[in-house]
Order: sequence, then structure tokens, then C-alpha cells
Amino acid sequence: MANPTLPKNAPFGPEDIDFLNKLVGRSTPMQRSWLSGFLAGLDAAQGLGGVQAAAAPVAAAKPRVPMTILYGSESGNAEALAFKAKKVASKFSVDAKVVDMADADLAQIAKVKNLAVYISTWGEGDPPQRAVDFYKALMADDAPRFDGVRYAVLALGDTAYVNFCETGRRIDARLEALGGIRVVDRIELDLDYQKGAQAWTDGMLAKFQPADGGTATVVHVDFKASAAEGDDLEEPVYTSENPCEAEVSALVNLNGTGSTRETYHVEFAFDAPEFTYEPGAAIGVLPENDPALAADLAAAVGLGTDAGLVAKLARQFDITTLSRGTVDAFAKLTGRKDVAALLEGDALARFSADRQLVDLFETYRETLTAEQLLKLLRPLPGRLYSVASSLKAHPGEAHLLVGAVRWASHGRQRKGVASTFLGERRKSGDKVRIYVKPNRHFGLPANGDTPIIMIGAGTGVAPYRGFIEDRVETGAKGQSWLFFGERNFTNDFLYQLEWQDHLASGALTRIDVAFSRDQPEKIYVQHRLWERRDEIRGWIADGAHLYVCGDEKGMAKDVDGTLARILADGGDDAAGLAKLKDLTKSGRYQRDVY
Amino acid sequence: MSDTRSKNESIKEKSRLLRGSIAEGLAHVETGAIDEDDTQLLKFHGSYMQDDRDVRGERAKKKLEKAFSFMIRLRLAGGNLTPEQWLKLDDIAGTYANGTLRLTTRATFQYHGVIKSNLKRTMQAINAACIDTIAACGDVNRNVMSAAHPYLSKAHKSAEELAKKISDHLLPRTGAYHEIWLDGEQVVTSEGKSQPESEPIYGTHYLPRKFKTVVAVPPDNDVDIFAHCLGFIAIVSKGDVVGWNVTVGGGMGMTHGETDTFPRTADLMGFCTPEQAVDVAEKVVTVQRDWGNREVRKNARLKYTIETHGVDAFRAEVEKRLGYKLGAPRPFKFERTGDRIGWAQGHDKKWHLTLYVENGRVKDTSSRKLRTALREIAATGGVDFVVTSNQNLVIANVAAKQKAKIEAVLAGHGVEIATSSAMRRNAMACVALPTCGLALAESERYLPSLITKFEDILDAAGLRDDEIIVRMTGCPNGCARPYLAEIGFVGRAPGLYNLYLGAAFDGTRLNKLYAQDVDEARILKLLEPLLKRYAKERHDGERFGDFVIRAGVIKATTAGNTFHADLALAAE
Ligand code: SRM
Ligand SMILES: Cc1cc2nc3c(=O)[nH]c(=O)nc-3n(C[C@H](O)[C@H](O)[C@H](O)COP(=O)(O)OP(=O)(O)OC[C@H]3O[C@@H](n4cnc5c(N)ncnc54)[C@H](O)[C@@H]3O)c2cc1C
Ligand SMILES: Cc1cc2nc3c(=O)[nH]c(=O)nc-3n(C[C@H](O)[C@H](O)[C@H](O)COP(=O)(O)O)c2cc1C
Ligand code: SF4
Repeated sequence: MANPTLPKNAPFGPEDIDFLNKLVGRSTPMQRSWLSGFLAGLDAAQGLGGVQAAAAPVAAAKPRVPMTILYGSESGNAEALAFKAKKVASKFSVDAKVVDMADADLAQIAKVKNLAVYISTWGEGDPPQRAVDFYKALMADDAPRFDGVRYAVLALGDTAYVNFCETGRRIDARLEALGGIRVVDRIELDLDYQKGAQAWTDGMLAKFQPADGGTATVVHVDFKASAAEGDDLEEPVYTSENPCEAEVSALVNLNGTGSTRETYHVEFAFDAPEFTYEPGAAIGVLPENDPALAADLAAAVGLGTDAGLVAKLARQFDITTLSRGTVDAFAKLTGRKDVAALLEGDALARFSADRQLVDLFETYRETLTAEQLLKLLRPLPGRLYSVASSLKAHPGEAHLLVGAVRWASHGRQRKGVASTFLGERRKSGDKVRIYVKPNRHFGLPANGDTPIIMIGAGTGVAPYRGFIEDRVETGAKGQSWLFFGERNFTNDFLYQLEWQDHLASGALTRIDVAFSRDQPEKIYVQHRLWERRDEIRGWIADGAHLYVCGDEKGMAKDVDGTLARILADGGDDAAGLAKLKDLTKSGRYQRDVY
Repeated sequence: MSDTRSKNESIKEKSRLLRGSIAEGLAHVETGAIDEDDTQLLKFHGSYMQDDRDVRGERAKKKLEKAFSFMIRLRLAGGNLTPEQWLKLDDIAGTYANGTLRLTTRATFQYHGVIKSNLKRTMQAINAACIDTIAACGDVNRNVMSAAHPYLSKAHKSAEELAKKISDHLLPRTGAYHEIWLDGEQVVTSEGKSQPESEPIYGTHYLPRKFKTVVAVPPDNDVDIFAHCLGFIAIVSKGDVVGWNVTVGGGMGMTHGETDTFPRTADLMGFCTPEQAVDVAEKVVTVQRDWGNREVRKNARLKYTIETHGVDAFRAEVEKRLGYKLGAPRPFKFERTGDRIGWAQGHDKKWHLTLYVENGRVKDTSSRKLRTALREIAATGGVDFVVTSNQNLVIANVAAKQKAKIEAVLAGHGVEIATSSAMRRNAMACVALPTCGLALAESERYLPSLITKFEDILDAAGLRDDEIIVRMTGCPNGCARPYLAEIGFVGRAPGLYNLYLGAAFDGTRLNKLYAQDVDEARILKLLEPLLKRYAKERHDGERFGDFVIRAGVIKATTAGNTFHADLALAAE
């Protein structure tokens, strides 16, 4: 900001003005907000209420209201929205500060006047990992009252999931139950949330905006929150709305012939200096559907001959997800009782468990017009993939490790949209639209000497390739230990030759592997962790950072449990869990699970 | 001064009696391989490091190392097994190996496709079946083979007993095997008592090269006695073995284009009494230990030692070490090599079924469930199993009333006892691709289809039931003893073989090169007229291998050192 100067007519002597200019000049936003709060608070405390008009601060235009923007986020969407909201807030004379549920203290939050909540839903209707503690405390019987707290909730979700925006709903209801005052109705947003979020946020802020002439209120000062403002979120240049056209420069199935797996190493090349990412980030891919499925879908509603429509379906629309919303709309459109019946009880959950949209149309035959069909569909959302490369090691490139999703049900071979789009329907030289999804909560320690323990199964090993490549480029000296798990040693050892090279050069200090199907008994990464528990404790004692990446249900849960047991070191699990939480809070235990 | 010895000599020397860094190598989880030098030592423990050659091309592209795995060869002196052992070995094949058991040309089993992380537990499972693998490979006396039917006669029994005695007596004494694989536990097999840390017979450098011993009972030469370093031929009187003729200096292996390497039929060295046999074996081994060529490994086999020093000088040295003279060889007569497929009755009235196993591969296919059938037979018990020296299997000691049941089980799984043609029943192919690192061409995976083509010719010529010995190997090492086959194929390159003709049916004479680098079309073109002529012009009882010589198609190979001589290759 331009160097601030106090107006000559400010109620101070010249050298004081000089002095204040110096001070304000070098102050950070945080210091300034603290100072204003402090001074206002000081007067308030000394009961010097009515300030003479003459001494009224010139700058004091409109009165401002404080607001706490509280977010719970896993992959960063809600987080980004929260920080965006803070930026626009000032336009509405709202002094907002952003607080991550991970760092929030419930008692403090219950005291704020104005509260905006940006929250996503994960797992099967669960809060984001880092928000779990806050969420539990809020739901607990001994949660503090929120009497008089004015609030609003924005819920992020994905209509593909049965428990759409579940966490947002519950928080909204809970705040009300605790005496909070809902100022704006909750909004529930699907994966295409951007526009909706912006509109809702503006409307919401307008509602919280102070009526003119209100008196200035004490800015509550919270250092942690302010610190968060310090490192404001940089919105990446390339987003799902503004993707980058990258070229597929390499594409290979890393699994050996005879493997039960199909995992693609995909290399993207782009000529775009602003396309930057850090190891640990995710790359978004805007896929296209299998044209054959698009044709089947169109045919199912009697539009099979409309080639233009089929192409459109393939490129732009989500034609696989069978969501409640779609079924509801389809039932209303057709007036069919049998379709409507799907919406009762858990009928839909059972029907959609292993079915997709095409099954709905093939089971309940109806002819639709193109417009009718398109109205039922949502835009085709992008898919995220942990970046498997370091930009330093591969300038102008981003590498992904993509596991093909395939399954068969009801006589149809099902294909994961994005994973087979990349693995099966793209070849070297083709163009793909990609974007960057930074992850502030999964990345290398700032200090290159810090030891790291990387735990991953299957595609969960992807980010660690980027980690090690990055440490090679930066000449980081810290020790590193990889725990990798898959099915069979011979055909599923992803990036085996590269790990061997890194071990030889010392870039990777140790490796332990768990191949579940090579022997009669199943061996998973958590078993290897347990075997090495003493050394792992040693590494943690030496300040090691721990990382887990990959399948949530399949692995991350068990790894959590095992790490807790290891940390408990003979003591009870609760103690271990507590230690694990501390590591999480201090950023030394980071997860990237999906 | 520079070390002129072959590389393997220094590896053995540094190995601390076969330990090397095998144990450390097993602990490296990022690779399926072990250290190069250790692969040489691992052979002494009964295992070879290999890689799946079918997929070599794709691996690097997929950022994967070669598809390494290990072949494990059992030490099965005499070659027989209890049904309980069979079941255990079958389990191992399914749990740790590629789902097959491979009967070898030297009367034992091999597993293929065992990955490094399972190597130790597989070794332990094998030992839990009271079988070990030590010295199944390596520069030591290997598995000792004896005539197939130990139950056929008392003489066969004595042959089996001698085989076991020699095998145990010549075992390495190092504790390395127990240390690395069994965590120091004792093996439960014979001689399992704790072993002193020295090699009284072998010394720290063991033998210059592999060493092979067999025991034969005339008139059957199923063990191909003339193909081995050391052989004992039973001399029987009134049903009892009164002593053994001793042969030395046989071997098959050679190298294409190197005429100083050649297959060689063993010489008769003398006669010894039953009590002397083990002692004789030990002394023959120690002379080879001291006289064998340790500088040029390809000339290190006993056959070359005999070739260099002559059998008389060799006998003299052996007798010197024995402290007594060997007797003059006694008369004996071999009638045939190969196995007599089908049922045979032993002296004790028990029945023995010699089952033809194509290329020794015990496996299940959609139409032919041999592995399952044998499992069932083993599970019902009451029988024994004997692996023959021709990749076949004897289901032994079957009570008369059991015969029908066994035939039913086999038939029920699509396994016929005496398959199609006599040529097929006598055919052998080595393993070759994809596991064998030395293969130049296909063998096990190819010969069956080639035989099928021959069968049309045989039918036309009316030779379907004539026993003609056909053997194929994927390289000149000769693992299926192709140079003792009436028709021998030796791989040169993918799809191309050298064709050898004229070996004796009784295994006493080597064959000779007839055509070079021939593909299937040419093979059939060359052999069809010969087989037809044989059908017409043979004297009665005349064997194909003898016929081609009488007919002037090929010269007789009278000794190994003339194997490469007087060639008359077929006209292009
Ligand atoms: C399994 C078997 C062939 C079969 O189809 O049954 C076999 C298989 C191999 N032989 Fe053999 N040999 C087998 C009997 C033979 C025979 C036949 C015999 O001994 O009656 C010979 C010819 C006789 C002789 O020793 O001269 C034989 C001469 C060789 C040689 C050449 C030796 C030489 O002096 O030149 C090699 C290569 C070497 O030793 O360097 C070899 C090496 C090999 C290896 C281990 C390849 C290697 O060294 O990497 C083959 C493993 C292939 C695989 O994937 O299993 N194998 N090998 C036989 C196992 C015998 C056993 O149970 O111990
Ligand atoms: C932060 C993050 C990082 C990620 N990193 C990676 C990565 O590095 N590598 C990677 O491969 N993936 C990664 N993923 C997952 C990836 O984003 C996609 O979810 C995955 O590739 C599947 O997408 P798709 O379009 O191919 O399948 P979709 O078309 O989305 O189909 C997947 C859906 O199909 C259904 N389904 C799948 N299998 C069955 C079955 N057997 N029966 C019934 N229904 C079934 C399920 O509803 C599932 O959600 C990551 C996800 C996140 C959120
Ligand atoms: C593994 C996984 C599970 C999810 N589970 C749900 C769910 O149960 N209900 C829902 O509405 N959305 C669910 N979502 C969608 C997310 O809520 C959605 O992507 C949201 O934009 C993420 O916001 P965030 O980045 O702030 O966490 C899930 C997403 C993933 C990747
Ligand atoms: S003969 Fe050659 S190819 Fe065949 S198994 Fe022996 S070494 Fe391998």
C-alpha cells in the first residue's frame, strides 16, 4: 500500500505526526488492526465514551462491523472461498478475519458477534479431517451457547454423494440450536460452486453490513487469525474456470504385464510460465466422457441420432453421476410414480449403489428433448491428481500417477471418466485442460534438513516422487524414508527404478515395501510401520515430518491407528492419539487422502 | 602376479564357505535381485536367479527392473517321495511358485518364479517336507540319480541306496545353508547332524565345475550313464548286486562354434565292490578337485580332465588315493534309454505305473488336470512317487486292487497314461524360455507342437508305435541330453535349430550334426524322407539312430573328441 500519511490537521504536534507516519508506514496490516483495536478498547475501558466531534478521526468514514469467517476444508475449496470473502468484506465495511477450524477455539468463536462458516463435506458425510475436533466439540453436549451470535453457513459438497453437504447442514442446525441467529439462509453448492459462492457471499456480507451512523466497535484481536491474514491465499492463475491447455508428452501404464492393476504415469508439457505448483499440490484435469457412453445415454432417451448432442454430452456434461437431484428432476419431468418412488427411504441409495445415470434412463424408458435432457445434467467436474513431479526437476511439466477405475455391474463395463480418459482415450501429443490446486496442508518442510517419513499405497506414492525430486534439486540434506504398498512386487512396484536410483544417490535414505498379495498372509504398509516402530519413534524424536497419501478407507485410517499405537509407545491409545493430534496441529503430520 | 583362475574361483574363495552376502542381499527390499557374485554362490544352495524373458522388453519403459525370480532345485537322491511329501511340495508350487512342479532330466523337482521375498520361506517349507536343496546345483557333486524303479528288484533298491549314500557323503559340510535359510535349524533329512565349519572333501574352492553322478541297473540305461561325470553300473548275480562297473568322463555341454568344447560319452574305468563304491566316488571327486581346470571354466568338467590326462593316468591316481586297485570291468548289456511307460510289476508283486509327463511339467490345463490328479492320488495315499531321469513320474507300490482306481482318477482328469505316439513318449525338451537365462531358442514350449507335426509323418510311414528318441534343447548346454538322441535339436536362435542324427538307442553313442540353423519347414523337409526310408529299408529290430549311419546319411561319432569331425551336412 502507498506510504500512509496522517493529514496535517490531525490532532498531533508536527514531530508526533512525523513519528506516527514513520510508525504507521512500516506497520503491517496486523499491527494496524491491533493498534486500532487497542486504542478503541483503551477508551472503552476507561469509559471515555462520547468523543468530541472536533477530535473525531478524519479517516473515520462509515462505521465497520467485525466478522469471523470460519472455514473447514480438506482440498482447499472452502478455504479459498473464505479468503476471497475476506477480501470483498471490506467493500461492505466488514472487518473480517479468517479462522481455520483446525486452529479455532470453540469458546472464542462462541463469543464473536458475526460468524460466516464455509464448510465442505468429506468421507461419507464427514467433516474435513482437520475440522473434525472442532466439529466434535461443537456437537458435544457441553458445547458453549451461541446466544446472539449472528451467523450464516455456506456448504460445499458433491451431489454425487448421498450425504450431500451433510456437514454444512449439521453445523447450520447446531448453531441455531445453540442460540445463534441465522442471518442468511444456508446455501449448498455442488462442484461447480464458484459463481454461486460469489453471489451468496456478496448477499451475505450485505446483510451483515452496518447501518450507517452506527458507532465503531471494538475489533477483537486474535493473533492466530491475523497471522492467517498475513499469508493471504494466492489464487493460482490456472483454475478449473481458466484451465491451461497442456500436451500429453508421455503416457505409460507402469504395471507389468499380468498385473491386476492399471496405473498410468502421465506427463503433461505446457508452455505457460505462470503454471506453477509446489510438490504436494494437486493438478486438476478437465476430462471428457467415453463417447460410447454418451451415445448410449442419448439413445436411452431417444436422442441417439443427434451426433451434435452426443459430442456435447461427451465433452461438457456429467453423464455418469446418478444424484438425488437428477432423479428428482426426472421424476417431476416425466411424472412417473415409479421414478418418484426411488426418492423414498433408502431406495435411491440402493438403486444407485452400482448404477449410473444411463441405468436410470434404460430402466425407466422415456423419450426426452435435448433441452430436457441437458437440464437434468450438471457440468462435467474436473478431477484432482496429486502432482508426481517437481517443477524444479521438470520445468514446464507436470506428472501424474493415475489409477484406472473400472468395474462391471448390471451387464455393463464401467469406466472412471477421468482415469480412463487419460489412460485409454488420450495418447502422446493430445491436448488436455489442466489446472493447479495448491495444498497448503501437504508439502515439504521449509527446512531441507528436516527428516521426512512418507507413507503411501498405490497412487498414494505420487507426491513423494515430487518430494524427492524437489529435495534433489534444492540439495536438501534431510533424511527420507518411504513406506510403499501395493499388490505384487514384480508388476506393481510403481517407479521402482527411480526409487533404486534415489537410494543409490542417497536422495532417499530408506525404503520399506508391503505387497499384500505376494504371500499367503496380507501385508500392508501399516504392518511395516509397526515392524519399524522403534526406529520411527527415533525419527519423530529427531523432528521428522510424517506424510500419508492415498486411499482413505483402504489405508489412511489404518495408518492413523498404527501411528497412534506407535506414538503411544506402550501407553494407552488415547495418549498416542493425542500425540498424533499434536503432530497434526504443528503441521508435522500431513495427510492427502481421497 | 595376476590371478589366472576363472572368476568363480575367487568368488568361492571369498565366500566364507558359500555365505557371501546372500543374507544381506535378501534384506534389500527395493530389488528382486541379489548381488551378481552371490548368484554364483546361491547355486550351491540349490537356487538360480532368473528373470522372465517374455517381458524383458517392456520393463524399463515401465520404470520396473527385470522381472526377477528364483528357480529352486530340490536334492532328491534316488528321486523318490512319500505321498505326504508330494502334497507338501504341491502346496509350495501353488503358494510360492508359478503353480507348476517341473520334473527334471536328472530326477528331481524344480520350482520356477519364486520371488526374493518368498525365497527363504519357500526353502523352509521344502525343508519342512524333509527335503533340502543344498548342492542341487553349483560346483559340487549334485543330485545322484539312480535307475527309476527302486521297487522293481533288489538290484534297483541297492542302486537307490548307493545313490543316497554317495549324495550324502559328498554333501558340502558348510553351515551356510542352515544359517541363511533355516536360521541355524537342523534339517530333518539324513546327515542332518550339526556340521563342522570345514570342507574335508571339497576344500574352500569346492570343485572346478559341476559334478554329476548316476547309478544304472542294466538292461535299462534310463539314467543315460554315459552322459555323466561318474557312473556306477550294477553287476548283478542271482538278483544281488555283487559290485559296480565305474564310468568316468561323460558330459553333454558344449558351446556353438568352439570345437574344443564337445559332448563326451564316459569311459569304463573299472569295477569296485559294493563296500568300495562310496570311497571310489570320493576319490574320483578329489582327483577332479585337484586336476580339474580352474582357469578355463568351459573346460573344467571332468570330461576334459579325462580327455587331457587319459583314463589310465586318472585311474592310477584314483587307485593311489584309494590304496587299492580297481577290478576289471565286468560284462553288462544295456538295451535302451528312456523310460518304459505304463504298468510294471515288481518282485514283491506290487505294481508301478510309469506316467509320461510332457517335458516334466506337472500342471493343470483346461483339458488336462495332471497336477490335480496327482494331488488326489497322493491324498488317497498308499503309494509312493519316483521321479525318473527322463522327466517322467512313477506312481509306485500300487496294490493290484488300487490300479483301477488310479487309472480312473487319471482318466477323470484327462490324463492318458501312454500318450499318442511312441516318439512323443520318448521325447524330452529342456526348460529354455522364458526362465532359462541361457536359452537361444524355445524348447519346452515348442517341442510338443513339432512332435505333432512328426506324428502325421509317422502315421503315413506306419511308425507311430516305433520308439525313436527325440530331444530338444534351447542352447548347446545339452540339458535334455540331445547329443544322445537319435534325433537331436539344439537351439541356435529364435526359430532356428541345429539338427543332429545317429545316436545309439541304448545311449552308448553320440549323434552328429546333420543340418545347421534349420527352421520348422526345413526340419520336416529333411526328416520326412529319412523316416519314410527308415520305415521301408530298416532291418528288423534296427533302430533309427543306427539306420541313418548304415544308410550313409551320417557318420558315427565314436568318441566325444570326434563329435565335430567328419561332418557331411545335408545339402541346402
Ligand atoms: C532343469 C534342467 C533341464 C530339464 O528340462 O530338466 C536343466 C536346466 C538348466 N540347466 Fe542344465 N538342466 C538340467 C540337466 C542338465 C543336463 C542333463 C544331465 O545332467 O543329465 C546337462 C548335460 C549333462 C552335463 O552336465 O554335461 C546339463 C547341462 C547344463 C549346462 C552345461 C554344462 C557344461 O558342462 O557345459 C549348463 C550351463 C552351465 O553349467 O554353465 C546348464 C544350466 C542350466 C540352467 C540352470 C541355466 C543356467 O545355468 O542359468 C537351466 C535352468 C533352466 C530353468 O529355467 O529351469 N545345464 N543340464 C535339468 C535339471 C537337472 C537337475 O535336476 O539337476
Ligand atoms: C486431493 C485428491 C488427490 C487425488 N490424487 C489422485 C492420484 O494421485 N491418483 C489417482 O489415481 N487418483 C487421485 N485422486 C482421485 C481422483 O481424483 C479420481 O477420483 C479418480 O481418478 C476417479 O476418477 P474417475 O473420473 O476416473 O472416476 P469417476 O468417473 O469419478 O468414478 C469414480 C466413482 O465411481 C464409483 N465406483 C468406482 N468403483 C466402483 C465399484 N467397484 N462399484 C460401484 N461404484 C464404483 C464411485 O462412486 C466412485 O466415486 C485424488 C483425489 C483427490 C480429491
Ligand atoms: C473422498 C471424497 C469424499 C467426499 N464426500 C462427500 C460427501 O459425503 N458429501 C458431499 O456433499 N461431498 C463430498 N465430497 C465433495 C467435497 O465436499 C467437495 O469436493 C468440496 O468442494 C471439497 O471442498 P474442500 O476442498 O474445501 O474440502 C467428497 C469429496 C471427496 C474427494
Ligand atoms: S539347454 Fe540351454 S536353454 Fe535348455 S535349459 Fe539348459 S541351459 Fe537352458
